[in-house]
Amino acid sequence: MSLAKLGLWLLRRERASGEWRVLLLALIIGVGSVSTTGFLGDRIKRAMSEQGANFLGADLLVSSPRPIETWPRHDLKTSSALEFASMVSRGDAFQLATLRAVDAAYPLRGSVRIADRPFEAGTPRPAQPPSGAVYVDQELLALLNTRVGDAVQIGEATFRIAGVVAEEPGQLGGVFGFAPRVFLRTDEVEATRVLQPGSRLTYLYQFAGEPDPLAAFSTALKPGLDSTQRLIGSREGVETLRGAFANADHYLQLTALISLLLSVAAIAIAAHRHALRHYDQAALLRCFGATTAQLRILYAAQLLTLGLLGSLLGVAVGALMQQALASLILPDAVTRLPSLGAVPVGVAVVSGLLALAGASLPALLRLIRVPPLRVLRRDLPPLPVAAWISAVFSGSALLLLIAWHAGDAKLVGIFVGALGALVAVLILLARLALVAGRGVQRISYGPLRFGLAQLLRHRFDSTLQLGAFTLALFLVALLALVRSDLVAGWRQQLPPQAPNHFLVNIAPHQQDAVAAYLSQHRLQASELYPMVRGRLVSKNGMPIADTLPPEKRDSNTLRRELNLTWTATLPANNTVLAGRWHSSPPGGNDRRASGPAKGTQAGAPLLHSDPYPREAKASAEISVESGMAERLDLAVGDTLGFQIGDQSVAARITSLRSVKWDSMQPNFFVIFAPGQLDALPASSIASVYVPPSATSVLPGFVKTFPGITVLALDKLIANIEAVFAQIIAAIQLLLGFLLAAGMAVVVATLLASLDARQQEAVLLRTLGAQRAYLAKGLWSEFIALGVLAGLLASACAEVAMALIAHRLFELPVRPHPWLWLALPAAGALLVGLSGWLTTRHITRVPPMQSIRALN
Amino acid sequence: MTPAARAQFPAAIVAARALSQRVSTADGTLAILSEVELAVKAGETLAITGASGSGKSTLLGLLAGLDQPSAGEIELLGQRLNDLDEDARARLRAGRVGFVFQSFQLLPALTALENILLPLELAGRADARERAAHWLDRVGLAARAGHTPRQLSGGEQQRVAIARAFATDPEIVFADEPTGNLDADTGARIIELLFELNDSARTTLILVTHDDALASRCQRRLHLVAGRANEAARA
Repeated sequence: MSLAKLGLWLLRRERASGEWRVLLLALIIGVGSVSTTGFLGDRIKRAMSEQGANFLGADLLVSSPRPIETWPRHDLKTSSALEFASMVSRGDAFQLATLRAVDAAYPLRGSVRIADRPFEAGTPRPAQPPSGAVYVDQELLALLNTRVGDAVQIGEATFRIAGVVAEEPGQLGGVFGFAPRVFLRTDEVEATRVLQPGSRLTYLYQFAGEPDPLAAFSTALKPGLDSTQRLIGSREGVETLRGAFANADHYLQLTALISLLLSVAAIAIAAHRHALRHYDQAALLRCFGATTAQLRILYAAQLLTLGLLGSLLGVAVGALMQQALASLILPDAVTRLPSLGAVPVGVAVVSGLLALAGASLPALLRLIRVPPLRVLRRDLPPLPVAAWISAVFSGSALLLLIAWHAGDAKLVGIFVGALGALVAVLILLARLALVAGRGVQRISYGPLRFGLAQLLRHRFDSTLQLGAFTLALFLVALLALVRSDLVAGWRQQLPPQAPNHFLVNIAPHQQDAVAAYLSQHRLQASELYPMVRGRLVSKNGMPIADTLPPEKRDSNTLRRELNLTWTATLPANNTVLAGRWHSSPPGGNDRRASGPAKGTQAGAPLLHSDPYPREAKASAEISVESGMAERLDLAVGDTLGFQIGDQSVAARITSLRSVKWDSMQPNFFVIFAPGQLDALPASSIASVYVPPSATSVLPGFVKTFPGITVLALDKLIANIEAVFAQIIAAIQLLLGFLLAAGMAVVVATLLASLDARQQEAVLLRTLGAQRAYLAKGLWSEFIALGVLAGLLASACAEVAMALIAHRLFELPVRPHPWLWLALPAAGALLVGLSGWLTTRHITRVPPMQSIRALN
Repeated sequence: MTPAARAQFPAAIVAARALSQRVSTADGTLAILSEVELAVKAGETLAITGASGSGKSTLLGLLAGLDQPSAGEIELLGQRLNDLDEDARARLRAGRVGFVFQSFQLLPALTALENILLPLELAGRADARERAAHWLDRVGLAARAGHTPRQLSGGEQQRVAIARAFATDPEIVFADEPTGNLDADTGARIIELLFELNDSARTTLILVTHDDALASRCQRRLHLVAGRANEAARA
């Protein structure tokens, strides 16, 4: 029999031993968590790559906020679509949707799958519905409580629902997008009368053809596009989405990694105990003539086998869990995603082996260097392995793992730093809690006193168990709090009669009718703000990006069109921080709230063709929100150039304002003085408070003004909440691994102390302690441990939550009394159960049998 | 081994010259063995006796190459142990040296048969399983082949350990207090078995014991007093 075989033979004979089981279990948990995220990430990434050109629905896509009339000469296949938001209603139910009006050629690449019923895979069909019909997302069916074949209202036109959009290019479904999709025919948009001057529209032009003509066309087209228009090749399209996904993926991977690291702790403890129990075996084998090299092969074969077995089982668990995770994030994952890939299997197995090696090599090194003389002198300790070897082994294995998973040095730095700090804090807290436990122990009696004494005696173990379990409970609790608190906090913070609906896309001719309708139904509306969309392009004659340091150039404010308004009076909830408000005397901070500013005063429009004006006329004044000014290095006196449609507008910053964003009033980054934008097509926006008793007014409003978009804040928050809940449920699934890993640490440390505990139990039982007394003592110990972990986790979660609420979201800090009950209870249950299951036989084995076993 | 040393231990299977073992303690250096001289020929039986702490087990460990002496020379199976490192000494022992311990040292996860199999497998013997079964039968435990040490009495465990020691056909067997954990009757039966197997295999036997009855069965006896040897011929 070869040495490796001998090792495996010994391993098989010892398979029932507790250490192997814990080691294997910890490995399965760690690898399971890593492979869950690995599999899913890989499937989504491959789905993106495999879609390729299908992702855009074309080889080349041009998006523009206004129609493009002239194109360079080409002989490519073309298709055009128009995208806009509008209300879709049926009876009293109404919902904001993203409408895409398409021609018969759409999409040029890939396919749109249309199904007859929700949750079906559907068949590829042209995206253009039959005349008088629409295709809708299955989500919309539920929201409007309707079915395929029913009629819905869009603006002033009625359409029949002819099918459900099961799949369309560029969409992986689920999380992305708040407003469900509706496909309709381009030639039927007119009939809806939804589109108003100033409506937010996106024109999508698709091109497909051979690479050379495409490249020539693209080169010819580029110089003619302005900053509001985008040319997207199929590669860039995928890259953009992949980039966004990669960020999310990193964080999921790191969450999984925490479970793996906790598993590493459990593995290290189990491996240490395994080595401890096998010093005699190793010494005996050395007596029989085994050399260090032979022992190395023998134990390495055992470890490798366990590593492969645990990793493969972990991969199997991961394969199952990723499916659950996928269906949480993408409800139709089965039909949309490619099957499991091979790469994550390799990554997970290598992670498992690396974790196992890092965690158990120090123990193994001691094992193979055990002196043979130990067979005669049991007290002889194995040769010490230099501490630095252990540290280097474990440390470098872990760092390697983290670096590999994150693939981002900065993120690794932050992660390792944060985790290190958290572990340090937890160890400190655990120590303090144990000191407090000493006080409790003094005043307690009976089995509780015995149990607490055990906890305090195994101080190192207790600290480790407490730390691991606190970490697991803390992260689980934090996530639950983030989910419930932020959304609830946001809702609660709204003043009772704050506007809860936004009315968008109000055409100039509708303003009076809308005001009349609202006052007739006694609804309080905010001021009405005219709104045009424009992109900030220059500052003091320079392209805006050139004036910024590289790290600020990626600002969202520069990439999108801003809503620009004009008003003579400073809106309520706004405060001038620098400069002076439009045309008010120098030094005066005009904070008067005013009546509706319709902004229809006549004034000379300041439109001209130079996109980078050096100076604007003195009367062209704007007020800029202070946060935006800070992000873009803007100051009072700077001249900004905007691209509005095909017009360029320049204006000088005369004031910087703070804005109370959560006031639920229409708020703006940039407010022009009246008279500067009036010549541009504008629609208006207002907010309105609809009391719960008056919600029945809304369907009537939607019917009366079908072109006006009604944004219900409640629905918006509910939407955000739903998406949030999806993502958090996914992360919570991963945290299940974390809790399991925490339990593995508890079990591993308990196993490590099992011999000592058994000796104590034997002694106590010999001295007359009843079995029930010992059992109660054990329960007391583990429940105390779980309760302590729960209390520590509650404290950590409260502090973290307070920081998040206060710093990140500016929400009031509030305590969570239930947390202080739930977490200790959960801790008591989980630690109590795992502790009792690990140690229960101590109280059951007759003392005589225990004594013989110990000998 | 130097020619001079070889000349000094002709035909000795194990020999020691000026063997000393000292350990450092908090109170200074402690001499466990001092200047021990010994030569055991192939086939001889030697009992090392002495009070607790007299250095018996230390001497046994040194002779078997389980430890290195502070001073002096040891020769085992024709090799000077002082020149060999830990691994070379292990290689020298493989299949050629057997051990019997006071606490039996059976692996708890293995059955009686498997415990005997272990050194045979390690020595790479092709007929390992047959040999193990044969030796289990020799010690009268063929019926208990599938039992683990927990299911065996102390005497039975020591019989398995003896079978394990002889199974590889060693040239020398070291036994450390082989009856130390057994009652008198069982101990006597174990002694019988040990010597019977030793005689038939013509193995050299070096054992450490407190037990006069056991020591008296050996041809030679080395008595240790505070680490110094005093060899008495067999009474």
